[in-house]
Amino acid sequence: MKRPAVWLLSFLFFALSCSSSLAQDVAQQDVVRGFFDAQGGAVSSHTNNWAVLVCASRYWFNYRHMANALGMYRTVKRLGIPDSNIILMLADDAACNSRNKFPGCVYANAGRQLDLYGDNIEVDYRGYEVTVENFLRVLTGRMDPSVPRSKRLLTDDKSNIFVYMTGHGGNEFLKFQDNEEISAFDIADAFEQMWQKKRYHEIFFMVDTCQANTMYTKFYSPNILATGSSELRENSYSYENDNDIGVAVIDSYTHHILNFMEGIDKTSQKSIQDLFDTYSYEKIQSHPGVRSDLFRRPLRQTLVTDFFGGVAQAEVLPSLPEVIQRSSDAADTANSVPGAHIIPPVSAYRANDTYTYQATPAKGVDVAVVFARSATPGQSRALITFRAWASIVLTGSLVTWASRTRVK
Amino acid sequence: MDYDVAFPGLIVTRLLLAFAPLPDSLIHDHQLSTPLTSYPRLLEGLYLFRHGVDPYSGGLFRHSPLLLSLFSTALPLNRFTAALIWTASDAAAAWALVHTWRARQQVKGKTSRDSLIAAVYLLNPYILLPSLALSTSSFENTALLLSVMFAVQAQTSLSLLLLAIGTHLALTSWLYLPPLALLCLTTPVSYLASPRPLPFSSNEITRKLGTLATEYSAYLLALAGAATIVAGGVGWLDKTWGAVFTLPDLSPNVGLWWYFFTEMFDHFRPFFLMVFSIHLAVYPIPLVVKFQHDLLYAVYILTGILATFKPYPSIADAGLFVSMSVLFPETYQYLRTPFPTFLIHLHSSLLLPLFHHLWLGSGTGNANFFYASTLVWGIGMGLGVGDAVWAGLLTGIKGRFKNDADEQEWEITQE
Amino acid sequence: MPNRFILKLRVILRGTGGDKNVTRIQRRRKLGNLAWRLYPKLQILLLLVGYAWMLTIPSSLHVQRTYIDENALQPAQVNTYWNWGDVHRADLYLEELEALRDCNASSHEIATFLSTEFRKLGIPAAMQEYTFDTRTGAVHGMNAYAVLSSPRASGTEAIVVSASRRSQTGEPNLRGVATVLSLAAYLKGSSLWAKDLVFVVSDGHLDGMQAWITAYHGVAQSNLVAEPLQLASGVIWTALNIDYPGHSFSHLGVFFEGLNGRLPNQDLINSVQRIAQYTGGVPMLVYDHKGYNELPNQESAFLPRWLPDGLRQTPEAQEYAYRAENVVRHVGFQARGRASGVHGLLHQFRIDAITLFALPAHGPHGFHAIGRVVESTLRTANNLLERLHASFFFYLLVGPTTFIKIGGYLPSALLVSVAMLFGGMGAWAHARWIPPPPANEKQEQERWIARPRPLLPALFVVCSTHALGAALFFVCATSFACAAGVPSSRAPDHLILKTLNLCLASTVVSVTSVLNFSLAATLAIALGFPLSFSTPSSSAIARLGRFTAYASLALGWLFMEDEVTQALLNWELLGVWFAPFVCIMYTPLVLQAGIVCLLSP
Repeated sequence: MKRPAVWLLSFLFFALSCSSSLAQDVAQQDVVRGFFDAQGGAVSSHTNNWAVLVCASRYWFNYRHMANALGMYRTVKRLGIPDSNIILMLADDAACNSRNKFPGCVYANAGRQLDLYGDNIEVDYRGYEVTVENFLRVLTGRMDPSVPRSKRLLTDDKSNIFVYMTGHGGNEFLKFQDNEEISAFDIADAFEQMWQKKRYHEIFFMVDTCQANTMYTKFYSPNILATGSSELRENSYSYENDNDIGVAVIDSYTHHILNFMEGIDKTSQKSIQDLFDTYSYEKIQSHPGVRSDLFRRPLRQTLVTDFFGGVAQAEVLPSLPEVIQRSSDAADTANSVPGAHIIPPVSAYRANDTYTYQATPAKGVDVAVVFARSATPGQSRALITFRAWASIVLTGSLVTWASRTRVK
Repeated sequence: MDYDVAFPGLIVTRLLLAFAPLPDSLIHDHQLSTPLTSYPRLLEGLYLFRHGVDPYSGGLFRHSPLLLSLFSTALPLNRFTAALIWTASDAAAAWALVHTWRARQQVKGKTSRDSLIAAVYLLNPYILLPSLALSTSSFENTALLLSVMFAVQAQTSLSLLLLAIGTHLALTSWLYLPPLALLCLTTPVSYLASPRPLPFSSNEITRKLGTLATEYSAYLLALAGAATIVAGGVGWLDKTWGAVFTLPDLSPNVGLWWYFFTEMFDHFRPFFLMVFSIHLAVYPIPLVVKFQHDLLYAVYILTGILATFKPYPSIADAGLFVSMSVLFPETYQYLRTPFPTFLIHLHSSLLLPLFHHLWLGSGTGNANFFYASTLVWGIGMGLGVGDAVWAGLLTGIKGRFKNDADEQEWEITQE
Repeated sequence: MPNRFILKLRVILRGTGGDKNVTRIQRRRKLGNLAWRLYPKLQILLLLVGYAWMLTIPSSLHVQRTYIDENALQPAQVNTYWNWGDVHRADLYLEELEALRDCNASSHEIATFLSTEFRKLGIPAAMQEYTFDTRTGAVHGMNAYAVLSSPRASGTEAIVVSASRRSQTGEPNLRGVATVLSLAAYLKGSSLWAKDLVFVVSDGHLDGMQAWITAYHGVAQSNLVAEPLQLASGVIWTALNIDYPGHSFSHLGVFFEGLNGRLPNQDLINSVQRIAQYTGGVPMLVYDHKGYNELPNQESAFLPRWLPDGLRQTPEAQEYAYRAENVVRHVGFQARGRASGVHGLLHQFRIDAITLFALPAHGPHGFHAIGRVVESTLRTANNLLERLHASFFFYLLVGPTTFIKIGGYLPSALLVSVAMLFGGMGAWAHARWIPPPPANEKQEQERWIARPRPLLPALFVVCSTHALGAALFFVCATSFACAAGVPSSRAPDHLILKTLNLCLASTVVSVTSVLNFSLAATLAIALGFPLSFSTPSSSAIARLGRFTAYASLALGWLFMEDEVTQALLNWELLGVWFAPFVCIMYTPLVLQAGIVCLLSP
């Protein structure tokens, strides 16, 4: 307080430097935003696409659920999302089931025209690994350090994620593996965690089960667009059977979506609203629903490929000769580079996502524990007999003592 | 029939039955034995003990270490000795029951009902079948009946010691302490018809009960020490006594706990286990207060309550209740619903094995069938216990009347 | 007006004022008197309602359509590829089997031929010899069986396809065996079997399969000497038995009752019906009862002649007759604990099994149809991942696509049981209390006179009759000479005996109804009125007469030679409980009622 002027001056200087740096940041952000808002804010500002495809039911008669998930897998892969960006969870192996008349193949239509299993498939979570816990860990990113990269959802705040779930479901729940359930609240909370951790830009949530629309009623995080196959108290029906496989091979809703997707390629400008406009009770046999109140962009301007395809924004930078040479192919800025994998900046990682790859501890550790817990094998017979007789003697002496003292 | 002829005759019949070729499935039957009393588990524990493995390290053996020491030293267990041991146990229990009756009648020698009482215990199918199935609940019953006998003969120490032994075999027996301790201090003669308060002042009662409780605890601790010596550690506490509180084994039995806890989410388990255990503990004191004029009756009612609400009951517990009812013929005329109780017991004792078979044998039914039959069993037990309480109280009310005519003048109703 | 009504209600509920306890006691007394007066009528009412319910079982009140409950089954959703080449192969097998029959080949030769044929197809096969020791002599035979291991799965489960060498009609089941052989050849060609297929050709009718299945499960039987099986497979979940005696068939009849009244899961029958209808193109029947519109005169023979034509020829009556015929046939099997075919021996091992009976006719179907049906059924059973558990185990199949749930037929027996229970409780009350003379009704306080009620004598009679029944059974089972004696009786109070009798009968009917409804219903019909209205009378002649009537009801079955022999044979060979049950439960109960009549009132 002795020199108020000095204090005031230093404060002013401090404020000025802060504001200038802020201004610089703002300016930088404007440039970035300008890049993404190049077409009037209608274009999505995501830079990478991910897909999480979950088939939650097992057993041969749920063949159609696996075909659903595999159909979606094929679609998103065809439209450009690479395997490294797809988490495919299949609860059972329909292709190699001993009842499968066509081993190694999974078909989604009655004439068996297209084998979805094919020879280029990467199933990340298979069989009993498809659990509610693993699904939530995939979404939230909270994983043991030993989980491999292919099983992680390495998204950032500019990732668009397509989450597709199929199986048996009910009012605000979905059945996993016939012995556990995930509720709509769990998924909503997981998405909120993802939002807080800046793990997504936009999510498109699609679910094909009975009473599917109840699954998205509990979301409360922004930028989520959701659609489901049937209303509360309504069943979702299968589409057709194949009479050689002997079971239903695809569900009505997913069949409808896949049909629509057949007309989509990477350049397609069809919007999500176009997809929703094709919904009809006559074709799908149930009432599909849409929830868009949390989604900030207008649906007419949201492209299907924003979620289903690996399409990314690319801007050709001017100036350097080498760059001009290389970018002469990329004349059409609207085209994406297929399989473009944009490595998210390091700052997007949170402290919890540890990427230190340690060697897994020796397997023998667990074994040693067993030895420590087992009873001492070497206890001699004599000791055991002695202990038993000692306790008998003690009990007997108690009895004799008690019968001696006869208290009135 | 003369008691001196009937009693040995009954024992011989029991021995013959025990040595008869019975189906092996009897030993494994869920109605006749529980995870705490089952014979195969006892054999397993003895085998492990003999080979130096701690029998309490697994989850299978839940018998008291005292049984472990008894059967691995003084009484080797095989098919022959098992039949003898279990028959001897039942004979001792019947003998204790007869002597309790004699003490209650204040008769030194024989009475006319002796043979009936022995027959009711030894031929009661609820007692006979678990004994043939070699369930250690026979020992629990024997310990309790011997304890009661010593209590009515005013041999306090033996009575408390046997109760302590009974507690080691089945933890819920500790609930018998209030009525038994008071029974040691009062007379077993029937005062049902003339209720009167305890002839002690409150200071006196506190002091005497305190002494008895201390003695009981001392016995309990000493036996626990003996058990620890045998078991080579305190691991047995959690597996034997702890099982009563934590209900780790949900094998089906005739009780009301197992189905409830199969459906229970883990989150709520501790709370409901506490509620069920505390529920058991609220019964002794009110019973003692209400039947302070005839504490033997309080013990009798308590056996019925425990048979219904214990964590791992079998039909042997119900058998104890039914057998003890012969000690109170003065209450028979006041029983309101003996016949419906009998009918419910008849139906449920036939439906229990039937539905158990349909569920686990032929696979055409499911657990709910068996659960329904346990509920019917519970209703039968509850009806029996409630009726016994009613009859006991009514004996006290109507006992005031001098003659039958006066008695018929009055009608008792319940608000 | 409403006010007065409420006032009246209040008076009824709360009494006319005064002491509430007095009102309570008065009300209780009134109710007690009402129950005392009314219970005989209630008893009769319940009995009548129970029997009326039984009569309405075949009507359309309770029936509903069958449906497939287990989603995994997906019946009739597959294409079948069984074709004329396979039919031709079956014809060739048939020729060889006929040749063997014509030259009177022995069991051994036929079994050798069968196992050789299996081996030629590349399926491991073996034979099993067995001998049953019965009182009528030794029954000897040789089974042949083959195990087609699942190509891609581990073979922990199995499906059995079987044919017995003798059909249930008594003729040789040549075409059934030929179908099994040809099926084995055809099914070997697919690799989509998740379970092992076990083909069994059992000797005789029931005895061969009994020897095979008990040896498979390691269950020993005292009068059976059977070779242990050389080839093993997994746990058997479903089994199909083919019974095809004639040349061609027009319908496929399904037989499903098992030993001691067990039934297979209804989904198996429903699946076969769907498959037969859609894939096989063969109509399915329950047993071999044709529907009324397929009979000559379009009329069921089951309706009694004395019904007027106008009533008899209505569709409702015809349907009722058809269903009643099915119910009666079913009760005939289930009450006596008999298996209606070879499949019935497998139910005790938790195997869902049925017999497909090709109803002999000049009709259109042959190997082609039955092969298609069996192939599709096997594909359906192949889809299963766990045993059938979803559909009903307790049902009355009244038509190929109609059935009655347990709630539709069980209460009838239970009502009769409850009526008997009320009778017992009434007798119990009568034993203790003597009602006051009716002249004193005006008095508030009616003195009911109590009398002592000794229980032991009646208990002794009950125990001794049951012991006598057990002795009777042992005597019958060990020799042909059956002696029926009248137990000596003291003089117990007949009311107490009636109480025990009725309560025991009621319990037996209730408990049996869950296990074997037909037996319970038969018991209810046989015991209901006789036991409820057993009373002694004052004249000794009347008492003797009544007792004779009851004794003949109790022991009259001794004169039905065939039934007795068959029942005892079933007990010996197959472990059917009907014979001991009749001796140890039914006869003593009726005898007790007879003794009630015999005692002095």
